Amino acid sequence: MRIPRALMDAILAHARSGYPYEVCGVLLGRNGAGDRRVDRVVPVVNREQDSPQVRYEIAPEDLVRVQRDGRDEGREILGYYHSHPDHPARPSETDRRIAAEGLSDGVVHVVVGVEGGKRAAPSAWVFRDRAAAFEPEPLDIE
Amino acid sequence: MAVKVQIPAPLRSLTGGQSEVEVDASDVSGLIDRLDSRHRGLKERLCDADGNLRSYVRIFVNDEDVRFLKEKATPLKTGDTVAIVPAIAGGRG
Repeated sequence: MRIPRALMDAILAHARSGYPYEVCGVLLGRNGAGDRRVDRVVPVVNREQDSPQVRYEIAPEDLVRVQRDGRDEGREILGYYHSHPDHPARPSETDRRIAAEGLSDGVVHVVVGVEGGKRAAPSAWVFRDRAAAFEPEPLDIE
Repeated sequence: MAVKVQIPAPLRSLTGGQSEVEVDASDVSGLIDRLDSRHRGLKERLCDADGNLRSYVRIFVNDEDVRFLKEKATPLKTGDTVAIVPAIAGGRG
């Protein structure tokens, strides 16, 4: 997955500013033949009510709005991002289980580990139904 | 009753890669059946064995969640836009 430096910086800043809570957002772009390039990032509110320090939820109402606006601009949803405060930048078992239950095949997830609200590090993954697991996705920050 | 249906990327393997399809249906239940007749397997991804929408699937008609309308009995009319939207959640714990 390719993403401009400024957009990745915006994701990392969002993750730091939201600490100690998880933050989340949507990755938009144009999905060419085998080439994913994010050219817009939309932060959305973490709608998780009970445990926003360790869980996130993107409300479908927010997602349908982002999807509609994206389509109006010729973009589509390539994936999502969320943060893991004081936790590694890789999908958790919760992430895997929920993705396996849902509509996630081929969708990119960027996971940002945030240490102490300061250091933030991203990683990218693609969920595959056939393996019921996330596979590492090369992250090309341009 | 031709309505446009927006297909999320994870379901496009069932629609030949199409991100939007047009179908004739008078309500959401009929729409799902028509979609499945043209794109076999779609209904199973959207509904459980009892025919209810799966918990991770939301269907919007003109930006209104059918859960707050008449669910699968929500009527459709020509020109409506239907969006199939996945529920997205997770986290470290």
